[in-house]
Formats: sequence, C-alpha cells, structure tokens
Amino acid sequence: SNLLLIFLYQVQAHDLVICEKLSNVIVDQSLKDQIFSREAGRICYTIVQAEAKQTNGNVFRRNLLNRLQQEFKAREETRKRSTQEWVCLVSFICNIFDYLKVNNMPMMALVHPVYDCLFRLAQSDALKNEEEVDCLVLQLHRIGDQLEKMNLQLMDELFNLLRDGFLLQEDLSSMGHLLLLEILEFRAGGWTLSETAQKYYYSEVTD
Amino acid sequence: MWAGLWASQFTTPPLQCHVTSTLTYENDCKPDENGKKGASRWSHCRKRGADGNLRKSYEVEEPGKCSHSSRRPESFTTPESEGPVSRVKNWGDEVEAEEMRSNVRRDMHRYRRRILEADFPQRDRKISSGSSDSRDSRDSKESPAKGDLETDETTLIRRQKQINYGKNTLAYDRYIKDVPKDMRQPGVHPKTPNKFKKYSRRSWDQQIKLWRVKLHAWDPPAEEGSDLQQIEEIDLGEIMDFELDVECSADTESQCPTSSGASLSLAEVIFSIYKHIPSKISSSDPILEFF
Repeated sequence: SNLLLIFLYQVQAHDLVICEKLSNVIVDQSLKDQIFSREAGRICYTIVQAEAKQTNGNVFRRNLLNRLQQEFKAREETRKRSTQEWVCLVSFICNIFDYLKVNNMPMMALVHPVYDCLFRLAQSDALKNEEEVDCLVLQLHRIGDQLEKMNLQLMDELFNLLRDGFLLQEDLSSMGHLLLLEILEFRAGGWTLSETAQKYYYSEVTD
Repeated sequence: MWAGLWASQFTTPPLQCHVTSTLTYENDCKPDENGKKGASRWSHCRKRGADGNLRKSYEVEEPGKCSHSSRRPESFTTPESEGPVSRVKNWGDEVEAEEMRSNVRRDMHRYRRRILEADFPQRDRKISSGSSDSRDSRDSKESPAKGDLETDETTLIRRQKQINYGKNTLAYDRYIKDVPKDMRQPGVHPKTPNKFKKYSRRSWDQQIKLWRVKLHAWDPPAEEGSDLQQIEEIDLGEIMDFELDVECSADTESQCPTSSGASLSLAEVIFSIYKHIPSKISSSDPILEFF
C-alpha cells in the first residue's frame, strides 16, 4: 500500500515513466489487495492507451502480460500458499481480459489461461471454499458472456462441472450452493437474471 | 440413494487436458526497434522458475504435483495436439502478434472500401484523416485491379513490420509534422510503400530501403538524436481525460474537461477504487452489493 501511494504521487506529479517497475507495482498490488485486483484492469487500460498515444509503444502492456504469465504459471503454488493471493490473481487476470482489448476484441492469448483458472476453481477441493466459489461466480458474472463467445465448448464443460458440484458435492457450504445455483440460472438466462430470480437472490430478506 | 445413481451418470467429463510437460521457450531475442540496449524483454520471464531456480525448459515445472494429485493436469484447456508443444511464446508476444494480424485485416477492409470508392467517386468525398499506408486508391493508374491484391497474411504482416520500423523513427515523426499529406509531391517526398499491391519480395524490400533512405532527410540534428529515443516518458498531464460524472476528490489541477473519450484519468481511477465509489463501468456483481 505504501508502494501504491508512491505510485499515486508520481502520477500526480506527471512524472510517470513507463518501465518494468510500473507493471510490477501494479501486479504486486493486485495480488495483495482484493479490491484493487478487481479494478486494476481499468488502470492498465488507461496506461496502455496513454503509452500508445504518446510514444506508439506498448512496453507497459508487454511487461504486464509477461509478468502476469509468470504468476499464472506459478498459480498452483500460489493457491497452496495463500487462497487470498490465488483469488486475487484470478480476479486480476480476468479483469485484464475484460479491459485490455486488441482492436476491440478480447485477447485470444488469455482465453485458455482464464478458462484454466476457472476450471481450477471448479474443482471439488476449491468448491468447498466459499472464497473460491465467490471468486468463480464473480468472474463469470463479469466476463462469462465474452468467454463463451470465444469458446463455447469450454464454457459448456465448465458448467457441467458446476452442475455436478452443485448436485453431488457434499461439503459445499450453503452459501456455496446459493452462489452456484445463481450462476447456473444466470447463464441459463443468457448471462442475465430474470426479474424474479433477481428478487430471489438479491433483495433483502426481512425476518 | 439418488446420489449413487446420478454419480454413475455424471462422472466428471474427461477434460481436454494434456500435461504440457515439454514446453520450451523460444530463444531468439529480437533486437529492439530503436536499438535500445536495456534488459532484454525476455530476461524477466524465462530464466527462472517460480521457485527461483534457473531452468532451461519447463519440463519439471512443479515436481510436488506428481505424487498426490496424480490426475491434476497443469492445464485444463490446452488444445489437443499431436505431440508435445515445442514452442510457447510469451503472452506479450502473442498479443502483439494478434494485434498485428487484426490491424492488417482492418487495413485490408479499409483498403478494399477505398478501392471501391475510387471506382465510384462521389463529389464531396472527404478522405479520412486517419493514417494509412495505402492511400493511392484514387489514382487509377496505380491502383490494382480488384482481384489483384496481396492477401497472404504472412506477407502482409511481414511488410507491415517493415513499415513499422520505418515509422517508429524520429525522422518519420518530423517528416509528418513537416509535410502534411496534401502537400506531398510524388518523387520529392517519401511515400510509404503500399503493402496491398503485388510485388516480388525483392521489389518490395527495395522500395522499403529507398523509402527509409529518403526519410533520413528528416533525421533530427545530432544533439537531439539518440537520447530521446531511449526515454519513454509519458506526460500524463497531457492526456488526462476526465469523465465529468465521476465523483472524486481527485487532484484539481486540470479540471477542464477534454475530449469526450471514455478514458478515466489514472488518479481518478485509483481514488475511486479506494473510496469504494461505484463507477459507471462496474457491473452488478453481487459482491459489491454487499458493501
């Protein structure tokens, strides 16, 4: 968080130098901070645009992606070490997928890695953790429809796993069940919830 | 009871998973376009594994895995292939290649449209001011017959790369500032070769060479030269666009709304994240509802 303050200060001082450091700062912060990991895509998008406009370069994007790839390759270890870091990583990768487009198209290079992450979250050892289910459904809400367009078959397979998990897995928490049911309905409705479902899941319950 | 019944039908479907166990990275290190001698862009992503050890290939990526989770594949989604995938690019390169391909396709569409327009000229047709390498469609002597375009993507991409090398120079920047397009005289002023025309490889390479030689006439004087090319500083003050309805106590220096672009300033984006201010962009994720 201190690093980020320094970074902010630089931004305000209009003293931003594009270098490896910048992308590393952003990735590091994303892995620690859940809020940041879900929103850092916008920051990256802004920087990428700025660099393209100013210098026609894409050093930042390249550094960012390569660093992200390193983290992705080490994801299983990260997951073992810290669930929080792991879900931050997934959020971040998905957020990048959402915001950093190439000529208005999602980056194809990220499609399989994103699916990999989601499949991992759909495994039984992950489904029993609410934190991981939560991450999974959040990503599907945000980018599910785009992912499906890029690869329908994988999305079908993923949802087969989710259905199985919902029906068969005995150690799901009730919140886990709820989240899974909602996402199943969400996709079935064409990546949107019907009004009644919206009311069911999201209106406040008065006891 | 039903669980057992269902279980037999609903066994986990076989995932398309292959342990990508013999991935190696390409070893070539393309020279940077501007001749920078900084750290190779490969250096931070290949030499060491996640555990810090040097490695030559990714064969033994995560040895701890093999024992307990014997069926856990490294990747769930690696497409089926005949054998081990021998070359995996890094994401930076892959995305650049994607971008190049889609740029070339977009250019092709534009060019085709231009050729059609040239056949049916309209009176007050305005030429778009966007940059394009293939602007000579109006000249019927030069423009290729409709069926006669270069369409091979590999060739187009190669040519575009060569063009990009030339355009990424200070000389080119100075040239386009110096001589606006409508003031250009053929023969006198360098003209970007048209990648969509059919040329032999030698002819094309020669045209590129001549073009770049001509561009050197706009090289900056010696003292400005190489230093400027090394620094990639971005002055965000110039490009901070503000979205008027983002409520934020961001810095008040540049409050003047600029062009209508949707980009948020960096500072605003970061501030908005940390003040938990919902912005227009955030979707209805259930988590935020709980805040």
